[in-house]
Amino acid sequence: MSARPHRVAGKRLKRIDGLGKVTGKYVYASDFALPGMLFGKILRSDEAHARIVRLDVSRALALPGVRTVLTAKDIAPIRFGTAIRDRTVFAAEVVRFRGEAIAAVAATSLEIAEAAVRAIEVEYEPLPAVFDIEEALKPGAPLVHPGWSDYQALPVFDREGNVSGRSAMAGGDVEAGFAQSYRVYEHHFTTQPVHPGYTEPRTAIASWDGNGDVSVWCNTQLPFDMKNLLAEVLDLPASKVRVVVPGIGGGFGGKLRVGVEHIAAWLARRSNRPVKVMTTSEEELTDAYPRQPTVITLKTGVSEDGLLLAREARVLLDCGAYANSGPATAAIALQIVAGPYRTPNFSYESVAIYTNKGATGSFRAPAGPMGNFAVESQIDLIADDLGIDPLELRLRNVYREGDKGPAGDVLTSVSIEDSLRRAADAIGWKDRRPGPGRGKGLACSWWLTTGGSSGVYVKINPDGTVTVVSGAVELGSGAMTGAAQILAEELGVDLTDITATDVDTNLSPYDYGAQGSRTAFSVGNACIAAAKDLRRQIAELVAPIWGVAPETIRLEDKGVTSGNNRLSLAEVAALSQRTGGGLISHGTSIQPMPVFDPTRVKNHPLPAWTSHSFHTHAVDLSVDEVTGEVSINRYVVAQDVGFAINPTYIEGQIEGGVAQGIGQALSEEIVYDGGRVSNANLTDYKMPTMMDMPRVECILIEKPSVNGPYGAKGVGEPPCIQPPAAIANAIAAATGVRIQALPITAEKIALARAQDED
Amino acid sequence: MSFAFHRPGSLDAAIAVASEHGEAARFLAGGTDLMIQINRGRAAPKHLISLAGLGLDTIGESEGEHVIGALATLDAVVTHPAFQTGLVALTQASAVVGGRQVRNIATVGGNIVNASPAADLVPVLLALEATVDLRGPAGTRSMPLDRFLVGRGRTERRPDEILTAVRFDKPPAASATWFLKAGRRKAMEISVICVAAHLVRGGKARIAIGAAAARTVRVPAAEALAEKEGAAAFREAGRIAADAVSPIDDVRASARYRKLLVATLVERALAACADRLGKDGR
Amino acid sequence: MTRQPLALTINGEIHDVMIEPHWSLLHVLRHELGLTGTKENCLEAECGVCTVLLDGKAVNSCILLAEQARGRSIVTIEGLGDPEHLHPLQAAFIEHGAVQCGYCIPGMILSAKSFLDERPGRVPSEAEVREALSGTLCRCTGYQKIVDAVIAAARQMSARPEAARRAP
Repeated sequence: MSARPHRVAGKRLKRIDGLGKVTGKYVYASDFALPGMLFGKILRSDEAHARIVRLDVSRALALPGVRTVLTAKDIAPIRFGTAIRDRTVFAAEVVRFRGEAIAAVAATSLEIAEAAVRAIEVEYEPLPAVFDIEEALKPGAPLVHPGWSDYQALPVFDREGNVSGRSAMAGGDVEAGFAQSYRVYEHHFTTQPVHPGYTEPRTAIASWDGNGDVSVWCNTQLPFDMKNLLAEVLDLPASKVRVVVPGIGGGFGGKLRVGVEHIAAWLARRSNRPVKVMTTSEEELTDAYPRQPTVITLKTGVSEDGLLLAREARVLLDCGAYANSGPATAAIALQIVAGPYRTPNFSYESVAIYTNKGATGSFRAPAGPMGNFAVESQIDLIADDLGIDPLELRLRNVYREGDKGPAGDVLTSVSIEDSLRRAADAIGWKDRRPGPGRGKGLACSWWLTTGGSSGVYVKINPDGTVTVVSGAVELGSGAMTGAAQILAEELGVDLTDITATDVDTNLSPYDYGAQGSRTAFSVGNACIAAAKDLRRQIAELVAPIWGVAPETIRLEDKGVTSGNNRLSLAEVAALSQRTGGGLISHGTSIQPMPVFDPTRVKNHPLPAWTSHSFHTHAVDLSVDEVTGEVSINRYVVAQDVGFAINPTYIEGQIEGGVAQGIGQALSEEIVYDGGRVSNANLTDYKMPTMMDMPRVECILIEKPSVNGPYGAKGVGEPPCIQPPAAIANAIAAATGVRIQALPITAEKIALARAQDED
Repeated sequence: MSFAFHRPGSLDAAIAVASEHGEAARFLAGGTDLMIQINRGRAAPKHLISLAGLGLDTIGESEGEHVIGALATLDAVVTHPAFQTGLVALTQASAVVGGRQVRNIATVGGNIVNASPAADLVPVLLALEATVDLRGPAGTRSMPLDRFLVGRGRTERRPDEILTAVRFDKPPAASATWFLKAGRRKAMEISVICVAAHLVRGGKARIAIGAAAARTVRVPAAEALAEKEGAAAFREAGRIAADAVSPIDDVRASARYRKLLVATLVERALAACADRLGKDGR
Repeated sequence: MTRQPLALTINGEIHDVMIEPHWSLLHVLRHELGLTGTKENCLEAECGVCTVLLDGKAVNSCILLAEQARGRSIVTIEGLGDPEHLHPLQAAFIEHGAVQCGYCIPGMILSAKSFLDERPGRVPSEAEVREALSGTLCRCTGYQKIVDAVIAAARQMSARPEAARRAP
């Protein structure tokens, strides 16, 4: 391959926000403070499902230093929610999970606020509760939301009783497919709730000004969504709400939806003082947006040579007491259970179900690890039964260029075969069981680059530097550095010439938000559009002066040229300020929706994926023959990134995503004992440490997408999809033990083995 | 939740403050466990009595004994020159308590007096048949660690007694120790099971197990068998140890798995001791 | 509870503060002194984002009483290096792409400094770095580039010890 034509894009350059972060000067929402600020604290239910029969805040209000105590009756009774408006700021009358907010206090110190929360008296009348999704589906099960049919909801979802959403995809004739199959396999898999694990707790500081406008500094991933949500629950026009994200210590999808912002805003409104609210670890593990637990049944029919002929899938997804993104996540699970596999006959159904447990959300690659664990475990089970090598079985079935996805959309830039072969080669697939207790496994998948629009304002300053104002938050991934590299490339400047501002919804152009592997992709495209517009502005300004055709104007080497004419970018920007208000542009982007076959899809908000990516993980691990302890020897990821805008930070995304995936595979679980979380602390919620992580060997495949900047594809979410399946497959290869319930703890392996030996 | 903080200038002054306030007072060594207990609302002392700067942090030895001051940090144990060979289990156990940030503060005495059944250093000290020194208003007294430990969070220490040091005989040259621990992760774990073994060439074995009962325990029946040495004896000792303990089911592991771990880790710790005895030619 | 005076030596300077006896060092650093480079998360010594140096050794400031730091020397990330004069660890973290969201990074860098300072002139192995830094959780990076950065910094510090010495 020839050398890259780019100067800035594609290079391993240092991130633009690094200096502040290594010196402790970068300000996160949790560091933010205002003069006179009060501290807010939340009283949470200790019943899973109960009627509140008495709620007495008088003792709390009487404490010195307490400025405000709020309960549901003190604020506007407004329901909100992502898919379904099923939740209120504070539980009114009924609590639906243990940990649900009932009241909040603002006081002059956090300690006083904590004492005040303890002083609030609550009496409950317990109601029948349901914690298990299969129980929740049974006739006569307690209803988590008896008034469900009165709730407003997005029309796309099919709801009834404890079912918050039901989606389906079908094609061909699945019964006929099973009938002609050589063998039909049915397996059952379960996955656990896991927390995104961002290191910065969710935090908000709210302050109201003299015009009755509210500003909220917080660490949301979606400032514009947050603005609208706050306007709703505060019963205000959106123009009166401003959301600012100073800095954010990780999100991973866990900071997409409202955390404590609404409570801070209400407390500040009622106390007439700025109020800061920040979650604790216990609150994070009882009332946040963890990945939904699922129960997945897969029935797959194959020909004698292992071609997939038919598949039926049923995904039951536990969204907890409030739907949030559960229905959408259940729908996305349909594409995941399809796998990156040609399947002529299929029928997939998913059901999102309410239970009396904490709400859930869109943790990185929502539905990805769960569905992939099922699909890729089953592929290995089938391969073993048919006596076909698991790699070979996958190669026989994966999508090829031009195939149709489950919604009938035509797939382009398909690279799954390449990623399978390269990951398998790198791990040394030919020697799949290199020794006793040691085995290798692989798993492949596909994922989308989420759409939605992006806008950026780009200014060229009279000193030749460039300022980009975006509505997209830098979560840490380096996406804004990537977008800036694209901008620098387009404008002929260096990355170090570019600065990006914080997001302020009063000042920043709209962005659909830092979610769905879309930030560098979509903001990058908006930067290309902005640069194009700036080139036009510059050409219109300079071409007449030089008497040249506008098309001959080039931006290169921090200057504007045409033939032998040259002005520095600084000079042109200064000229523009003197004559025309300066060089500034608004670039926008949106991904076109692919064409799909609506007859294949029911109740799906994202039926056809845009700018999909393909990826394979391969792992080599050892299992202690008695204790079941797993040690990962090597881990390889071959991921198609379309175009590697900054290979260093793409590797960073892969390495970090694999760490989260390894956590889900082996150690992490929010453990419910009935309705109570029994490990609501970081002692017993076990995220991988540095000792648990192997080196991750990254193979970046660059098969350009049609829509991405320079062919880039979304990168951020995919790396956490395959680790559970790849690791399950390697453990099976190493030990013969097949675990179909996540996490695959040493205990499960050891006890399964002991059972086998009995 | 607040308390008065006392910084006495001498041990006797510390004891006097403790005597004055009784159950309302707690001694503060490193505080890495106590502070978490206070923050979680599980302890609410009205008086904290700092033991810093009272000379309790030395690790020393006499002709026949090693003496570890109660305020010696776990990090100090990890790096102590005398504990790198025959007493390596002390190092192994101290090195897996929390992260380094904790080990730089947490103390040997704290690990003992908390009386957590999962305390990592305690099985090693039990296997070494350590003695604890206590000082109170009536003077000093000593007792075997095995007697000192009563149950989960309970010891023979009176509220106004300070555990000043832990002592154990220098093991003979032909002896070895080993410590093993199981947890879900490879670091930052509270033991699901931890095991210490101490093997002396020519017929003495000591085995102690943590997180398998309400307190760290020795298993004399298994020890007797292990004294026979050899792979079969070690395996059988593990089996007997597993039968002897009474672990619980909790969020970290099931009792059944804990018993399986006891059997395996006891066998492996003994084998590791024997291996070291063989290798060092001792 | 009445407040009591406490003089804390932080980054080489003495800070006189009035504290309540139960305040953690973390609380005093962040809320009384505005030194927010030291981060706050689990408050139970499980995550390590609050790591500071106490007499040169890494400690969790969340469970250390400010009183326990009386008469001792504290170093926070603010005392390590500024943007013009980065400590080799800070420079290496940027150079190696070890920083993502950055919230764990002050604690990670100080843990690394404590570890490297214990063994001047030595370049640690990858396994040693992983063992030494495992008390700080990072959820973004998978740790690999952090390990690489620490080893690279150690290499540089052993070759040019004066670069590291400028900082307290």
